[in-house]
Amino acid sequence: METLNHILNGFTVALQPINLWYTLVGCFLGTVVGVLPGIGPAAGIALLVPITYGMPPASALIMLAGIYYGAKYGGSTTSILIRTPGETSSVMTCIDGYAMALKGRAGAALAVSAIGSFIAGTIGVLGLTLFAVPLAEMAIEFGPAEYFTLMLFAMTAVASLTGKSLPKGLLSMFLGLMLATVGIDLQSAYPRYTMGVLEFQEGLSFVVVAVGLFAVAEVLQGLEMLVRGTAPEVIRISGRLWLTREEWRRSIGPIWRGGIIGFVIGVLPGAGGTIASILSYTTEKGLSKHPEQFGEGAIEGVAGPEAANNSDTAGALVPLLTLGLPGGAVTAVLLGAFILYGIQPGPQLFKEHPDVVWGLIDSMYVGNIMLLILNLPLIGLFVRLLYIPRAMLYPLIVAISAIGIYSVNGSVVDLYLLLFFGIAGYLCNKADIPITPLVLGLVLGDLLEQSFRQSLTLSDGSLSIFVSSRITMTLVTLTVISFFWPLISSRIKALRGLRAAESGD
Amino acid sequence: MMANRITFCFTVVLAAIYLYATEQFPALHLSDPLGPQAFPRLLGIGLVLTAIALLIETLRTRKSAGAAEEGRASGEARYYAIVVGATIWTGLYFAAFEWLGYAISTSIYLLALMAYFRRGKWISNGLTSMVYSFGSYVIFTKLLLVSLPAGLLPL
Repeated sequence: METLNHILNGFTVALQPINLWYTLVGCFLGTVVGVLPGIGPAAGIALLVPITYGMPPASALIMLAGIYYGAKYGGSTTSILIRTPGETSSVMTCIDGYAMALKGRAGAALAVSAIGSFIAGTIGVLGLTLFAVPLAEMAIEFGPAEYFTLMLFAMTAVASLTGKSLPKGLLSMFLGLMLATVGIDLQSAYPRYTMGVLEFQEGLSFVVVAVGLFAVAEVLQGLEMLVRGTAPEVIRISGRLWLTREEWRRSIGPIWRGGIIGFVIGVLPGAGGTIASILSYTTEKGLSKHPEQFGEGAIEGVAGPEAANNSDTAGALVPLLTLGLPGGAVTAVLLGAFILYGIQPGPQLFKEHPDVVWGLIDSMYVGNIMLLILNLPLIGLFVRLLYIPRAMLYPLIVAISAIGIYSVNGSVVDLYLLLFFGIAGYLCNKADIPITPLVLGLVLGDLLEQSFRQSLTLSDGSLSIFVSSRITMTLVTLTVISFFWPLISSRIKALRGLRAAESGD
Repeated sequence: MMANRITFCFTVVLAAIYLYATEQFPALHLSDPLGPQAFPRLLGIGLVLTAIALLIETLRTRKSAGAAEEGRASGEARYYAIVVGATIWTGLYFAAFEWLGYAISTSIYLLALMAYFRRGKWISNGLTSMVYSFGSYVIFTKLLLVSLPAGLLPL
């Protein structure tokens, strides 16, 4: 009953005119970020954090979350019209969405992705509403050892599941954790790795690191593509922006299944929207009576993945809000934003700031309706963004990043750091080193170290505290499994291949 | 293949520097038994183990990576030179950010990059860089009250 009251109060927060405005701004910017190349939701959110300092935390978080799920809507537009995912999780939409556009059905592809995103997004928020409180109540008993093992599991899962190589994922994770150790140690007040630079004493700002790694690095990559002459061509929207009865019949099942798959995958750390959309695509292809149509413009291949990558955002907010645990880059940046506003996500969040958390969750119901409107009748407006010359867009992104970063501390050192991390991100991209574990390590590093030291203080230095309860033992087991998962999955694939070859013989 | 070798060398050097810097911390055990160097020491060891894993992976993939990559690399220098040039130009932009001020430094930065990557379109390049730089300066400093350096201009 108390929870129901909080949910209803959340709607009074979300429906305040000022918060409706911020929801609209967030959704609009999210769609823009999703459509534009060179700037993803992580960089978009990180850039806006300094501008939101003076705002009430609920309004600021409502707007930042709007960018997160709004970007998923926008990401599909570029997948369909230029065969380039505006947002990584829209990668599967490129296959059949682009094929539909080539056949003159771009309007139907855009419509099904918007409708699918709306239905699945609402399924996801409903799941978040139902599961958040029970999980938060379970987590209220967590001590430092439980938190340490939980964060360790999340980071190992992200390191082993993102990218193509486990050692490179681990390298990225360790780099993030090492960057988190820069600054004054909270317990001994000793300055670590500051190299005498005054600005480093408070630690490295995650905003600077995130914008450098995501926006500036992407700009450098984009400029390289520009001189290589690999910029894609835009297909004009053709056909009605709606579905025929037959297309609707074929889409509804994939949308529901995609919505559920996306939410479940979103809750798991490391998996994320890309895996959710791949899983949805393979599920639909497996269930289809005409799997040969996939890749040739099957509407199910757009409806399922688009639904999955949207409900994934609500799923990813479950561990973030209830445990304070981000499972990917965007939620890591959102966690950083929460901390900057003086709010620590976790089980206490629902007791201490019910207005903020329920206002945020309830705003997502409203935001999904706004996004449906923005992405159907107004889609033509966003498509025009694709015609902005990239040679103009990329330098502008650097200039916008400079404003965002300089406004944090008014320091040029932050701008040099921005460039440094931009170069680092570009090089990581060249070396196939994933960025997400680094950002996660940077955001969680402090909490991980503090919980590690508190645990060992409680146990008089005995490591046995990390296997002393059922929860810690389960989490340590999950950590070990996720660590060896790439090895296990490649063995399973090899065995399957062997069996298939044998049965073929 | 070359990228893997560089990644391995970078990891080894970084681990060595990080562990050396960690060992320079004084042993402070005031409020907790571990002190400020315990956790970083674990990270350093983790990085050394990661370097070993990278080496194993590099050796494993050496056979499969063929000579094709070597051939492909020879024509790439021009593209990378342009990226290096754009990076240096961005560094100069940031260096002049406070001295010239946001509006002037940004308009010069944008104009030069657009002139290189969008050749011949002087009017739209010039208009975009000027309107964006001075427009965003006014919006951010006067409307959003974000502090940006005025520099040489008496704004």
